Amino acid sequence: MLKPFRGFRGGYKFINYDGPAAPVIVEDDIPSRVMIPLRQGFGQDVKPLVKKGDVVAAGQIIARDDHTVSSPVHSSVNGIVEDIKRMNYFKRVVAMVVICSQDPSKEIARIPGYSAEWGKLSNEEIEKLIYLSGVSSLDREGIPTRFKSSIIPPEDVKHLIIHGVGSEPYNISLELLLEGRRLLNFFEGVKILKRITPKSHVHLAVNGHSRRIIEQLVKLSSNMEWLDIYPLEPKYPQGYDEMLVPTILNQKFPYGYSAANIGVVILNIQAVLGVYEAVTEGKPFIERIVALCGPSMKEHVHVKARVGTALGDILSKRLDTSKPSRVVLNSLLTGVNLNDLTLPIDRTFSQIVAIPENKDREFLSFTRPGAGRDSYTRTFLAKFLPGAKKRPDTNQHGEERPCVSCAFCEDVCPVRIIPHLLSKYVKRGIIDETLMNYDIFNCIECGLCSFVCPVKIPLLAHLKEGHEKLMQQGCDRTQCILPYFDLKGIEEYRGVTKL
Amino acid sequence: MKFIKDMLENLNRVSQKNKLLGMFRPVLNAADEFFFGTDKLTRLPHILDYMDMKRFMSLVVIALAPAAAAAVYFWGLRVIAMILVSYAAGGLAEVAFAITRKKEIHEGFLVTGLIFPLILPPTVPLWIVAVGAIFGVVFGKEVFGGTGRNIFNPAIVGRIFLSIAFPKIMTVYWQGPFTGGLGGFAHFQNIDAITSATPLGVFKSHGELASYMGLLFGQNAGCVGETFRVGLIAGGLFLVFTRIVDWRIPFAYLTTVFVSTLAFNHLFHLKLAPPIFQLLSGGLLFGAFFMATDPVTSPFTKQGRWIAGILLGVLTVLIRGISGYVEGVMFSILLVNVFAPLIDTLVLNVRYQKKVK
Repeated sequence: MLKPFRGFRGGYKFINYDGPAAPVIVEDDIPSRVMIPLRQGFGQDVKPLVKKGDVVAAGQIIARDDHTVSSPVHSSVNGIVEDIKRMNYFKRVVAMVVICSQDPSKEIARIPGYSAEWGKLSNEEIEKLIYLSGVSSLDREGIPTRFKSSIIPPEDVKHLIIHGVGSEPYNISLELLLEGRRLLNFFEGVKILKRITPKSHVHLAVNGHSRRIIEQLVKLSSNMEWLDIYPLEPKYPQGYDEMLVPTILNQKFPYGYSAANIGVVILNIQAVLGVYEAVTEGKPFIERIVALCGPSMKEHVHVKARVGTALGDILSKRLDTSKPSRVVLNSLLTGVNLNDLTLPIDRTFSQIVAIPENKDREFLSFTRPGAGRDSYTRTFLAKFLPGAKKRPDTNQHGEERPCVSCAFCEDVCPVRIIPHLLSKYVKRGIIDETLMNYDIFNCIECGLCSFVCPVKIPLLAHLKEGHEKLMQQGCDRTQCILPYFDLKGIEEYRGVTKL
Repeated sequence: MKFIKDMLENLNRVSQKNKLLGMFRPVLNAADEFFFGTDKLTRLPHILDYMDMKRFMSLVVIALAPAAAAAVYFWGLRVIAMILVSYAAGGLAEVAFAITRKKEIHEGFLVTGLIFPLILPPTVPLWIVAVGAIFGVVFGKEVFGGTGRNIFNPAIVGRIFLSIAFPKIMTVYWQGPFTGGLGGFAHFQNIDAITSATPLGVFKSHGELASYMGLLFGQNAGCVGETFRVGLIAGGLFLVFTRIVDWRIPFAYLTTVFVSTLAFNHLFHLKLAPPIFQLLSGGLLFGAFFMATDPVTSPFTKQGRWIAGILLGVLTVLIRGISGYVEGVMFSILLVNVFAPLIDTLVLNVRYQKKVK
């Protein structure tokens, strides 16, 4: 059923950024060498099953651990294991399997037991296929199966939210992901997920401006009463779990914990397509569609890449190296820096954004009309010219000044805390229950407050600092959450909060 | 551009060697920051809003420009002189504090220095402008620790100091605007020869109302910047539209004045002027759009801004109607500035009441 257009209070719409990825998929050659992290997405590290010198095939499981909450990891190429080493991968130390490719063919070993007529498979067989394909480790809750791939068993899932809102400045193209055949596959994937989580209600959240896709979805879902379609306003950070749950279910979110605590599982569109391919084609999840966007990218396309491909292999031809640039994973507001191009990609990548590093001191920069400048205030031309492309760069655009309490940060805050007030407390070293009382633990670290601040105070950094200092003093967010939620066994229910 | 860069670099080099000149580093830095943007890079988030304090403040100056230009036309070069004196005197006070504190100079003075002369009567001697500007900056802002920490609007502090210290100059001599032809440019010399009264003063003493059209287009006596009300409304709406100021304060303020005078005008028609006259007289529009909305001195919570606006409206009507003063707007803004932290605390206490079961 189609629900009315909806949004939430606060937030900010990033529209018309320069260099979005065109809805085209480019498939690269098989890389000569891949590095596969043994922890991808949701779940614990898994134990390697191979050792140095072993011959592996693309799609072969090279690591799994059935005793912890985790999903198997596969080799993504046909080749020989060159090394297994621990290394730093995005702020955590992860074991990596380095595989030297021997075979340029694109064949992938299938998982046994798949069937194109998935209706004939039993639930256990379906869950096994999903688990073995590794797709169950995507997103913050994972896909629940009876093989401990998520923190909740499938029968506890009350709501399944599948979203493709695209609220970031640069997004993977929804039109591309749900194009032609893939739309039908997607629907089959949704049906498979509904089958394994029998008590769930499925909610499809899509960008409210993609009319054509919504029409198609409505047509296809005409006789499914367990499915609702929500056109959402593409306002950042709508794609966050913390915002999807309140906008769609009108329910409070247990900030800081996984949505699985309240029986909600949130998946993105690629995960659902992965489920379909795993169950009906037996395909392990070793390929990922990644959008390449931003003004510093020469080619704005989507790349279908094998997990473990080094960033350099993908970006070397496509990155504009004439000027220094900053490469960021997934989000320009919260994403990690990808400037080490030797690192590989994993299952969780969805867009790679490159923007110019701008150290130039611009003459009388505050007097510019700003046809390409994005601002929360309506003071630049870009807000009024409908076709104006906004060009982001990494300059701070102004000096840091004392707070004037303009309350822009409070206006955009999606979780309705007052960042400038909390930041003043943290800066003066007043770390006590006042901070907790003002809901500092509700902060979802979306970074919007820092973005809009006209005096360039690093509010996000201050909030994180206050948060950490409180934890050091023994104040835990459970003290804020427990009175409102019945969370049994918090330790085991604590999901991945940040990817 | 190149020329300014070279000049600043040279001055910087000299100031590093010379100890006495070294004291003036904050001035050099301020000039440097004024002309050239920053070379700092973002950390997280990777992109930041293009808005900064310089643009923020210059947009307020732009919004004030129609009223200021009209004032120059009405009263001639004298107004330009007042603005220059205000910038110079207040700027000196600011620089003196920056040097002793070894902190940089902030942009806030760009606005204060322009607002201050606009709320003075056109006949005041220039030395009084200087005294008021210095007093306002020092006791309205710097003693509290500078921009962002002041409790009172500096321009209002300066203005109230002047009206208490020099009541005769500040309230008795009013000069009506010169319109037609060259306007005020022909009258620089004999400006303090004529004495007229402001529309609010006339109402208080004779019970007569001025014409609304005249009020809108600045045909009456009044403070320099407050008479050309069409320009003020346009500038105020511009600020509200660009989100520089919050619409809640001016809206609540003006509505309260309108509604309360509409309700009580019949009961006390000798004391309370009718609603539209109230809106168009005195410094109400100027105060509502440009002074009450100063983010530093007004409450920062939305609910607090509603409360402040309503309080401002009630106080203005009371002071205008009952007290002996006619400067209702000024005093009520000063009073509400005092209450702003209290209003915020109350709002926060209500909002963050925990309902633990």
